[in-house]
Formats: sequence, C-alpha cells, structure tokens
Amino acid sequence: MSSNARVPSADGGVQATRLVVGAIGLAAATYGGWLLWEQRADWVSLVLWLGGGVVLHDFVLSPLLLLGGVLVANRLPPAWRVPVIVGAVVWGSITLLAVPVLGEFGALADNPTLLDRPYVTSWVVGALLVIAAVVTGGLLRQRSHSRPGAARRVAG
Amino acid sequence: MVTSTGKTTAANTGRGRLALPPPPRQSDFSDRLRNEAVTARVGVWLGVCFTICFLTGVWSHYGQEIPGWLTWPTSPSWGYRVTQGLHVTTGAAAVPLLLVKLWSVYPRLFQDVPRRPPRTVLLHLLERGSVGVLVAAAVFQLATGLMNSSQWYPWEFSFRSTHYAIAWLAIGSLAVHIAVKLPVIKRAITGPLDGPGPPDPPASGAGRDAGGGEDARHQPALAAGGISRRGLLRTTWAAAGLAVVTSAAAGTVPWLRELSVFGVRSGEGPQGVPINRTAETAGAQTAAQDPAWRLTLVNGDDTVELSRDDLVAMPQHTASLPISCVEGWSASAVWTGVRVADVLAEVGAPAGSDVFVTSLQTVGSFATSELPANVAAHPDTLLALQLHGEDLHIDHGYPCRIIAPNRPGVRQTKWVSRMEVLA
Repeated sequence: MSSNARVPSADGGVQATRLVVGAIGLAAATYGGWLLWEQRADWVSLVLWLGGGVVLHDFVLSPLLLLGGVLVANRLPPAWRVPVIVGAVVWGSITLLAVPVLGEFGALADNPTLLDRPYVTSWVVGALLVIAAVVTGGLLRQRSHSRPGAARRVAG
Repeated sequence: MVTSTGKTTAANTGRGRLALPPPPRQSDFSDRLRNEAVTARVGVWLGVCFTICFLTGVWSHYGQEIPGWLTWPTSPSWGYRVTQGLHVTTGAAAVPLLLVKLWSVYPRLFQDVPRRPPRTVLLHLLERGSVGVLVAAAVFQLATGLMNSSQWYPWEFSFRSTHYAIAWLAIGSLAVHIAVKLPVIKRAITGPLDGPGPPDPPASGAGRDAGGGEDARHQPALAAGGISRRGLLRTTWAAAGLAVVTSAAAGTVPWLRELSVFGVRSGEGPQGVPINRTAETAGAQTAAQDPAWRLTLVNGDDTVELSRDDLVAMPQHTASLPISCVEGWSASAVWTGVRVADVLAEVGAPAGSDVFVTSLQTVGSFATSELPANVAAHPDTLLALQLHGEDLHIDHGYPCRIIAPNRPGVRQTKWVSRMEVLA
C-alpha cells in the first residue's frame, strides 16, 4: 500500500486479514475521534498536547540524538561505542520516563504519601551505576580489542 | 522501515551534515540499524504492550462508569489490582520501545512524496497521515498516562475522558498501520535479524555508516565497534524491563517495591496505606469531624439517620481487600465495618438493590458513586469504620467509607454521608 514499499506479493489470506484489521482500525479510530469531538474539550490545549509530542520528538529529540551520534558516538574509540550506546539508550529512556517524578510537579502539600521517594538521589545513584557499567564494559572490550586477531570478536 | 529506497544507499553521504539545513533525505541515513528487521521486532512488542494497555484501560474505564450492559464482577477481589497493574506496567515498558521504534523509522519522515499517479500520491499521503495520527496518539497516551500517575495535570482538558478517547484513536490507527504493513512485518519477522536481509543485499552497500568503516555493510561496521542489530534489540528489552521495575511494577507487586525508585508512592501512609486524595484536598475536613455527622439512608419515602455509634453497634465484619488506584498502585488492607447489605436493611431495602452513594467531598470528581446490586449484596462489601484494627484515619474516609471487592479506588467512596436505594 505504501507507495514506495516493495512488498512481497501477499497471498489471499494476508490480504483478507489486512482488509479486516484495517476496517476495524478505521472504525475504532473514528469512534475515538467522535468521543474526542463530543466531549468538546479545550481544543487549544488538546491540539497543543497532541501535536506537541510529535514536534518534540521529530524536531527536538531526534535531531539531538543525531547530533549526539555525530559528535560523540562516532568519535569514540571502537571498543567504547557499544557500552556507551547501551548505557545512553537505557538511562536516557529511563530518565525521560522519570521526568514527572524527578520534577515532583504533582506534589501536594497535604499528601505526603504521594511522590514520597528520594527521586533525584536515586537518579544520581542509577546514573553512576550505569557509568560504572559502561566504563567496565569499555575497558573489557578495549583489552579484547588490543589482543591481536581479536578485532572480529567485538560484536555486542 | 527500509523499503525500496533502502536498496540504493550508495547516496549515503555520511552523518556530518544531518543536523544542519537543508533537511536530510531518507537515503542519507544508514539502514544498518534503522532496518525493518529491527523495526518489526520492536514493533511487535510495542503492539503487544499497546493492546494490553488498551484493553485494561477500557476495562478500567468501564469500572469507573459501568455501562448498562455490563455486570461488573466482584471476584476475584484483586482483579482490578492486576488489570490496572498491567495497564501501568505495559505503559512504562512502551516508553523505551516507542523511542527505539520511532528512532528506527525516523528517516521515513524525510521520504519523497511521489508526484504521480494520483492514486499513488493519495495512498502515500493517507498512509503518512495515519502514521502521524498514530505517533501523536501514542506519545500523548504515554505522556499523559505517566503524568497522571504523579497527579501532574498541566493541561486544560479532562484527563480521564481525553485519555479514553485518544486510546481508541491510538489503537485504531495502530490497527490501520498493522494492516498497511502486514506483508513487510511478515517478511521482516520471518527473515533473519542479522545479515543484510532482503532490502539490503550485500553487493549494494557502498555508503558509510555509524561505524565509520570504509564499507558500510554489517560486518565491517561491527568490527569498527558499532552495535549489532541483536545488541540494539537486547538493549531495548533491557530498557523496557528496567522501566517496568523502576517505575511501574512495584506499585503493584509489593516485594518489588524497594526497587521502584521512580515509583510515585513508597507504599507508606497513615495506617500503612497510601492516600490518593486527602480530606483537606477533597474539602471534607470539617464535615467529616463534625460530631453531628449522620449517615442518611434513603429508600423511597423512608429515611433513616445513623450516627457513627449506631454503626459501631451493628454487627461488624472484617474483610481483607486491596485498595487499587487507577494510577496503578495498590495496597492490601484489612477493613472492619458494617456490611452494606445490613445497612440497607435498616431502610427495608431488598437485597439486590442499586445504591447511590454520596460523599462529604466538596472539591473534585468522584464525590458520588454507584453500587450496582451485585456489589451492594456482596458479603465483603462494607461500610468500613476501621482500617487495620484502628478507626479510619480521616484521609482514609472517617467517619465511614465504602470498600468493595474488585472496585477501582476512585469508587471506594470516602466520607460517606448518604446512601440512597435506587428504584
């Protein structure tokens, strides 16, 4: 269906599945759109939040990742690339996930049972553990790299 | 996902210019990792997470606003705890999965729009439009869901109804996306993960990639220290697992609580149970402590008023029931109080009546709730007076609260002032 996708010729069963799944999907999405329309929400806020995620991802986060790849990952010594990439993917996504608790934006003065953990401390400790793991991995791989004839054994 | 354009990566000019205008083209990106073999494998798990998240979310929505055709089950008593735990768990796991998935297809944002024939142009635009809706809805759901867990609402719309409406939009556009991509998914999943694969024949590679080697194909890039496709997938699974352990699962699984360093609650609270909304926030502080408080029971023209002492003098029952919040945390608790069925008998209500419960709460939503007949008649459905053997803490609903098996926390109405039998 995609204009430039060269897909293998699908058999009848696959085509039937596509039609059924596609029709159900269209119906569900239409229902969602109708629910949204019916509740007559604050449209400005809604559009801002719906579009904001896409804009932030496509035009802020992704270019930053590309920049990170160019400026950091590609300049690292070979032995260090995999550990750094693994550490960055894991801790980067965990950090994004933890933004609401790290900022404690929802904290309420009269409810000490909400957001009651030492989030920033935990984040710092976690980051240090990840850094330690990355350094350990890098050093180990550097040793195996420096061994003669071991260049092809680095696949992570 | 790499398609026919992926066959001709010879135009790859390296990454040095990507961050600067003019905008990159799809062919500027290396397809070694941004490959359909990776995308489809992450996508399958993302689809599983979204589907579980959607189903448990719809279930939770029904639990908060039971539709007429549904008899909400009262057993197992921990059912809502499990479904809502799954909801937040799959939501948390979806964050790293979605990030990697979007990363792997990012070059497609820059693919050329075909100029003709019109049918091709239309299909192309429709597909990109549907993907746009999917990405917007998916990011929105994960972001607002996470923020709701921490009670952070920096927007002007209602969280619950909007999260519900966009859930349908997300799952619908996901199904459309799967329908569009099914042949590619099938090919990618059944094909080998490593190695060039169908869209990536070894002979065609001539560009440079992240590995910076002279030959951009797979093995040289690995030799130069690049991460393998398998490595990227394992990293993604690890990130998803860590997301679950550090933020979500622990709210539901008590023995994981110590690891839940980013969980919204430690599980501590007055009488050993966390609080979603305090009496002060709910505007119930004064009325709940008023010695003149009476529980008003209404059945048609019959009205009975009971003091707390009257309730204490009635037969007491104890039930171990979890309090399970829509935000994913839950806590086991032992409640003591009067059976709702016994309370209703005071106004001569037959067993099997629907009951409308009103709280002293003056601020915020969920100040009232309905007890369907099957819930009201359940022997473990209590008008609780005590928690863990002590009089209810005011933030747990003193002078009395509803507690029923398998019921969303927001409907376990606190500071009850009135119970009316519905005809």
